[in-house]
Amino acid sequence: MGTIIIGIGNPVLADDSVGLKVVDRIEDRLQGRSGVALTRLCCGGIHLMEAMAGHERAIIIDAITGGGGAPGTVYTLGPDGFSQTRNVCSSHDASLSVALELGDAVGLPLPRDVRIWAVETEDVSTYSEVLTPEVERAVPVVVEHVVRDLDAASGVSPGGH
Amino acid sequence: MKRISINPITRLEGHGKIEIFLDADGNVANTYFQVPELRGFEQFCVGRRAEEMPVITNRICGVCPEAHHMASVKALDRLFAVEPPAAAAKIRELLYMAFFVTDHATHFYALGGPDFIVGPDAPPAERNILGVIRKVGLDVGKQVIECRARNHGIIRMLGGRPIHPVAGLPGGWSKPITEAERQTAEEAARRNIEFALFSLRLFDTIVLQNPAYMEMAHSDTYCHRTYYMGTVDERNRLNLFDGRIRLVGPDGREFATYHPADYQAHVSERVEPWTYLKFPYLKQVGWKGFCDGPDSGVYCATPLSRLNVSDRLATPLAQEQFERFHEAFGSTKIDGRFTPVHHRMATHWARLIEMLYAAEHMRELAADPEITSPRVRNIPQTVASRGVGSVEAPRGTLIHDYSADSNGILRQVNLIVGTTNNHAAISMSIRKAAERLIHAGRIVEEGLLNRLEMAFRLYDPCLSCATHSLPGAMPLVVEIRNHSGEHIRSFRRDG
Repeated sequence: MGTIIIGIGNPVLADDSVGLKVVDRIEDRLQGRSGVALTRLCCGGIHLMEAMAGHERAIIIDAITGGGGAPGTVYTLGPDGFSQTRNVCSSHDASLSVALELGDAVGLPLPRDVRIWAVETEDVSTYSEVLTPEVERAVPVVVEHVVRDLDAASGVSPGGH
Repeated sequence: MKRISINPITRLEGHGKIEIFLDADGNVANTYFQVPELRGFEQFCVGRRAEEMPVITNRICGVCPEAHHMASVKALDRLFAVEPPAAAAKIRELLYMAFFVTDHATHFYALGGPDFIVGPDAPPAERNILGVIRKVGLDVGKQVIECRARNHGIIRMLGGRPIHPVAGLPGGWSKPITEAERQTAEEAARRNIEFALFSLRLFDTIVLQNPAYMEMAHSDTYCHRTYYMGTVDERNRLNLFDGRIRLVGPDGREFATYHPADYQAHVSERVEPWTYLKFPYLKQVGWKGFCDGPDSGVYCATPLSRLNVSDRLATPLAQEQFERFHEAFGSTKIDGRFTPVHHRMATHWARLIEMLYAAEHMRELAADPEITSPRVRNIPQTVASRGVGSVEAPRGTLIHDYSADSNGILRQVNLIVGTTNNHAAISMSIRKAAERLIHAGRIVEEGLLNRLEMAFRLYDPCLSCATHSLPGAMPLVVEIRNHSGEHIRSFRRDG
């Protein structure tokens, strides 16, 4: 149980990797915290639903395109906000909403609380291991958001440690 | 000219777009198959250490990383001129069979199957795995999820990480397996066989016993008499992991059999002005356009193709299904083997037969006492200039071809991924389906459009890793030409 933090992306596809890079940074901040697990995924759909199963809360970090903001803009969404995906890695199986319904139907213990942090991208079609500058600048911003989410969940007040 | 767009193609990897151009009479003039522009992967790899490739190439795509990992590791064996010990070769193949079972199961239940199980005329919102569960029961959904969990568990146990294995090394595998792990794999294989048999029974009940579906499957709409490609063992039996690549002609006679390293002597790639996709074809037959028949070099590399090139299957239950399959389509014998099945809808059935074969072979490998040998690595001593590795990916023959300098730094990389083999055939299927289903402007009923997508989806195309092959950063420009080749229209595609 507890919280699962899930970074989604392709590590060699420029800004598509932003979720993975956020998770790398968060990993360093998790020292001493219990009840928090962390994983990296390359695709959404059923894989993502399966990764969430068994946890009370899920925090997902992913790249987004067409969110309306400039590259580097950070959004927060509920699971419904992800019904249409443009994740170039895979929509092999099902959308997240279908996958969540499937998980529910077959009795998997899915989190009651799912929060998605998404970063508007500049480039998700060039093979590269680095982020574009605006997206790179969003990484610490998202890290702080996620850490605050974790603090709130564990009853720690901001600045309380 | 009126344009109908189906975008996005639902339930496919990456992003595709089918464009259909109608003439003044409302009949199909042209169809175009388009995919997103992910290019330059080979260039991204050049200059890296070759041994990085098994963990980089498996990031090309989130769908079949195991296939890239294995083709890459096999290419490294050749590049570093080192043979893996028997146990390592068997562990690799064991993992690969678990991957095949879960990948084919996911395609059948979540992607291809809904067309049959829920029905081609059902609303798109219902043509998914939830619709499948509503139609055939919740227990099926549980079995699909259990099948995935069971096989991802095997992949993690053997490969060091779920989905993206990291254990493959030139000359072997990074860790041996214990007796307890062997038993876990054997039990998973036993349950995979049960699930594959269950799935075939389900297919039998829902599809084979439904006259409307069988009429569709047998119709000329989804039929192309092309060449076929697949990997076979020394007795010309299906082999998903290793062997020689075999080509058979539309009449079923063997056209060629070759070592994967010789692929360039047999396959050329056609470039068309309207897409960045390349269209591989058989060099010795030649490119005659998007058409079938013995004079056209268009070939197909899919589960159906693999059954068409195989004399038989190496496991008993799958062999029974193989015979039943050919009998159902009225195959005769030529040179002692079944003539090919050209009806593309049969690919779904072929996929389930392969799932059963993979499950049975997984059990054979897991039951082999040699697989727990601690000797899983031979250390490379030298660097050859080139290494080619291939496997049958779920979507077709996958080739990794690396050239390196004496320090093992990559100088050239060429990949032919499964879906790429089928680009011409996919385009033909879309075209033919459109021609048969759109007449005199009568169009755009959901069931009708889904039948067009079905033509595409049966290939289970994986677009995100099939579009890596050209350098450059231009957005895709689509050009439309008339029958004389004159340019009549162009437009740019947004990223």
